[in-house]
Amino acid sequence: MSQLGKIADSIDAYNAHVAAEVKRARTEAKFAAELRAKWAHLRASVEMTKSPAGTPLPRLALPDTDEPGAIAEYLLSQGFPGQFPYATAAYREMYLDKDTGTGEEPMRLFAGLGLAEDTNARFKYLNTHQKSLRLSTAFDGPTLYGLDSDHEGLLGKVGEGGVAIDTVEDMGRLFAGFDLTRPDASVSMTMNAPAPVILAMFIAAAKKRFGPDCIGNLRGTIQADMLKEVQAQNEVIFPVDASLRFLCDMIEWCVPNMPRWYPVSISGYHIAEAGATPVQQAAFTLSNGFTYAELLKARGVDVNAFGPRLSFFLDCGLDIEYLVLGRVCRRIWAIGMRDVFGANTKAQILKLHTQTSGRSLIAAEFQNNLTRTAAELMLAYMNYTNSCHSNSADEPFTTPTEKYALLASHGQSILLEESGLFKHTMNLFGGAPGLLMLERQVEKAILDVFREMDTLGGVIAAMEQRYQRSKIQESGHRIETQIYSGERPIIGLNKYISHEPMPSVPLARTSPKKQRLQVERLKAFKKKHAKKAPDALQRLENVARSGDNVFGELVNTVEVCSLGQITACLTGVVGKFRPMV
Amino acid sequence: MAAAKSPAPLRILTAVPVCDGHDSAVTTINIELARHGIEVIYLGYHQSASAIVRAAIQEDVNVVGLSSYNGGHIVFFKEVVDQLKKSGNGDIPVFGGGGGTITQADERVMKRQGTDRIYFAGTPLADMMAEIKRAYARAAKPNAKFKGDRALARAITMAEGGTRPPGAFARSASGTPRSTKKTFVVGVAGPGGAGKSTLIDELTSRFLKNCPGGRIALLANDPSHPDSHGAILGDRVSAIYAQDDRVFFRSLATRGSLTGLSAAAPAAIEILQASGEFDLILVESVGVGQESDPFGIFGGRKLVDATLFVLAPHYGGLIQLQKIALLNGADLVALNKCDHPMAHTAKAEIQARLNQNGKGQILHATTAAKHFDPGVDALFAAIAKLGGLDTVRGGEKACWMASPDA
Ligand code: B12
Ligand SMILES: Nc1nc2c(ncn2[C@@H]2O[C@H](COP(=O)(O)OP(=O)(O)O)[C@@H](O)[C@H]2O)c(=O)[nH]1
Ligand SMILES: [Mg+2]
Repeated sequence: MSQLGKIADSIDAYNAHVAAEVKRARTEAKFAAELRAKWAHLRASVEMTKSPAGTPLPRLALPDTDEPGAIAEYLLSQGFPGQFPYATAAYREMYLDKDTGTGEEPMRLFAGLGLAEDTNARFKYLNTHQKSLRLSTAFDGPTLYGLDSDHEGLLGKVGEGGVAIDTVEDMGRLFAGFDLTRPDASVSMTMNAPAPVILAMFIAAAKKRFGPDCIGNLRGTIQADMLKEVQAQNEVIFPVDASLRFLCDMIEWCVPNMPRWYPVSISGYHIAEAGATPVQQAAFTLSNGFTYAELLKARGVDVNAFGPRLSFFLDCGLDIEYLVLGRVCRRIWAIGMRDVFGANTKAQILKLHTQTSGRSLIAAEFQNNLTRTAAELMLAYMNYTNSCHSNSADEPFTTPTEKYALLASHGQSILLEESGLFKHTMNLFGGAPGLLMLERQVEKAILDVFREMDTLGGVIAAMEQRYQRSKIQESGHRIETQIYSGERPIIGLNKYISHEPMPSVPLARTSPKKQRLQVERLKAFKKKHAKKAPDALQRLENVARSGDNVFGELVNTVEVCSLGQITACLTGVVGKFRPMV
Repeated sequence: MAAAKSPAPLRILTAVPVCDGHDSAVTTINIELARHGIEVIYLGYHQSASAIVRAAIQEDVNVVGLSSYNGGHIVFFKEVVDQLKKSGNGDIPVFGGGGGTITQADERVMKRQGTDRIYFAGTPLADMMAEIKRAYARAAKPNAKFKGDRALARAITMAEGGTRPPGAFARSASGTPRSTKKTFVVGVAGPGGAGKSTLIDELTSRFLKNCPGGRIALLANDPSHPDSHGAILGDRVSAIYAQDDRVFFRSLATRGSLTGLSAAAPAAIEILQASGEFDLILVESVGVGQESDPFGIFGGRKLVDATLFVLAPHYGGLIQLQKIALLNGADLVALNKCDHPMAHTAKAEIQARLNQNGKGQILHATTAAKHFDPGVDALFAAIAKLGGLDTVRGGEKACWMASPDA
């Protein structure tokens, strides 16, 4: 049974409640007085600061009103920053340049290339340009598809587009030299179908380095969002029900054992990059999130235990809807979680990672990509994203090379640390008429999609009917036809063209020699563990067949088995995914 | 009804290489190709070179188009080109694109290694379509040098173009028949979306398991677009068990035929039968309505040895059920999607409907979307029995259980 209709209704009901309260504020003197008092208190709590030029500035910008209806409207509909329904922000202070603030460095630069040591070197390079320890990992194709580097016909793919990880030993090399138990450390892994295996390798490698008790201190995120894989990113190995089971096994294990870890990042990025409109992105992502909430609840996990461990990931392009997408999503999530799932405060907050749009970056006159990314970063910060990846200007050609990755990183620092836009005052833009108008339009459109999916039987039923895929493909096709008809101006491609020859951009590619080295390492690992591997796989198979939680066992299996061996074992139990167009 | 008179459409196989799920470009290209009157056989993303080559051969395409983003394209394109050449099918050109990830310098290397051309980022779709049509349209001619599946595939292409192959041509197409064994031909019909394609794929896995050494052929009929005459033939994407040299899979666009089958389907069946290669042929019709009879079981020429009618629980109630003519004539009937809550009622209603016929038809309850479904095992057993298939029986246990292959 789908909850999407109910969730859509809960948003409408909340909006009606806000309208009623606004009316009451304007008609009931007692309520009006209460609101005024509260408002005065809130305003008084705002500290002051100064711009470098000497202009006095409040640390938080609030609507300049004393009218009870407007106060009610603001507090209930937008929410004071860090307060329900979180349209403004998840926390009160986001990017403020205070030593004591809750301010968290949002920078997460997705990196991965070649073999583990190459990515390790890139991490080290990037982290000399950041405040805190941020390691965000991109894996290569074979790893994303759960295959070993020595799998037939894959050699050219090893270490391309991300890092090749076959074994727990590779995982050790990947993070060598970083203290992952530091309070300011955060590790992200863009890994989906094999996420339980990869996280198990991460845990096993960390235990070796930092001792068996380190698990509770590990902080980070693994993507693991299988619904959007079926809908958009196409990295699915096992049938949908088995994929969801392995994911929920991992989440269920992480909730008590890894209190600082986000075991899923519910992602719209891939949906949007595959072609979806901003509204489709938001609607599919949120509905996927609510579906995970249903699945976990059905397994008996407490919503207040798993709620705070869910995280989200949105794309940010140049379309106007992106001005408000994060805000609208936080609001819908909070209301739905509170009113339909009964979640408490911590479990209502949508924690958001944003990546600027890769697809908006084009090969023609590619230096313009710096400007595009900068504009998208602005939009992302205006939505108070909790973390952010900025794409490199060489995005259309290659896994970023050092030069452009650094420029991308500095883009974030320039906006947040150099410019005065975000560091002095929180909420400079919230409540602007244009934002409010867009928020209403976008929210309504998202609820329409929820209701349509509800009539199809919910997210999973809609997925079986190819609903999300066909919508995304339709929109993707429309984007391309709009580009080539000129309806979507793309500077340098269909407008103001300079007719310069395609520049020759340095490429980050993995040499055949390195690819062979990876295969040799893997072979050595397999040889070393040839005696123990069969038993370990048999134990894993038994757990998988029994229906028990496979994650606890995977942490043991990875000690002696490679990713490909484990994938093959699990496929033997549950079969293969049958893809759709 | 006769096939449309316009010249035979271009057939293009499109795919995304192994360990690559970037399908947004290829799905857009597929739509554009079909809009321009081209028949696209789409294989899907994350496809190995050997799967691509197998499909290119069996579909006898004019050209293979690859869309590659995750790197390694120089190695991968070469592998496809080399495998085509090695198997005697070097006449099938390979082209593709990959946005900015394939550079002009790469293209020079790739061209030297046999790739025909690369479409770079920013190529307008209209230019691309015009050029593809110009570059790859050529009429299919019989070719005595073709061997094995390609020879069969070419014979079917000739039939699609309206050239009915004489029996001898069909036979010579694959050399001497391997055996004089009888081929059992089953027509699979039912409403669109009932799960015919999925069920056929699951049956294929049972065949591969239970008939070692045997070969199975699958003919998938799908509608052409009525205006553009193009088509996106996507059945291969979901046919995971067809990725095996023991499976011959051919996609047929209906090209204006309204019978539920391509006008070339009868000839294609004949060609496959005459080759002596196959133990079992499954022919899927397009989704059919209440009165259709794609396989001629109520009169005309009977194209198949047996008919399997597949329906899902959403047939619209008892009255609608009464009107489905094929339920009277089908040798085998499957109610698929038995994981659906309505399946229980549906089972009873359909069995009652079959009992009225008084032919002893039994209803097979299947859930094709689940691997290892015992209902599919039983359905395969019934087909095997009906067709006298040469199956192995493992020990005293029934052999229809497909075991998962890793
Ligand atoms: C969209 C996108 C995604 C989406 C894909 C969604 C989907 N279902 O397709 C998402 C977000 C899921 C994604 C994920 C990943 N991506 Co990506 N992605 C892109 C992006 C931004 C655009 C590609 C695209 O679709 N463009 C739109 C198409 C229509 O236009 P076009 O590319 O210009 O192509 C034109 C022509 O070339 C031609 N064409 C293309 N193919 C074909 C084929 C034929 C037959 C013909 C005739 C013509 C033709 O048609 C187009 C029109 O002119 C590129 C970067 C970029 N800006 O190009 C990265 C990029 C391709 N991705 C990359 C990577 C690394 C990945 C990941 C591996 C990241 C990771 N480690 O997790 C994953 C892997 C996903 C997977 N399953 O394989 C890298 C590849 C690096 C490399 N090769 O060195 C790129 C270059 C980004 C980067 N710089 O890092 N990605
Ligand atoms: N729930 C469920 N879905 C199924 C089953 N069999 C097929 N499907 C789904 O139904 C849709 C249509 O299946 P397909 O085989 O293409 O149907 P066809 O049009 O009859 O060939 C696909 O999304 C399948 O995944 C089943 O047994 N149960
Ligand atoms: Mg079908």
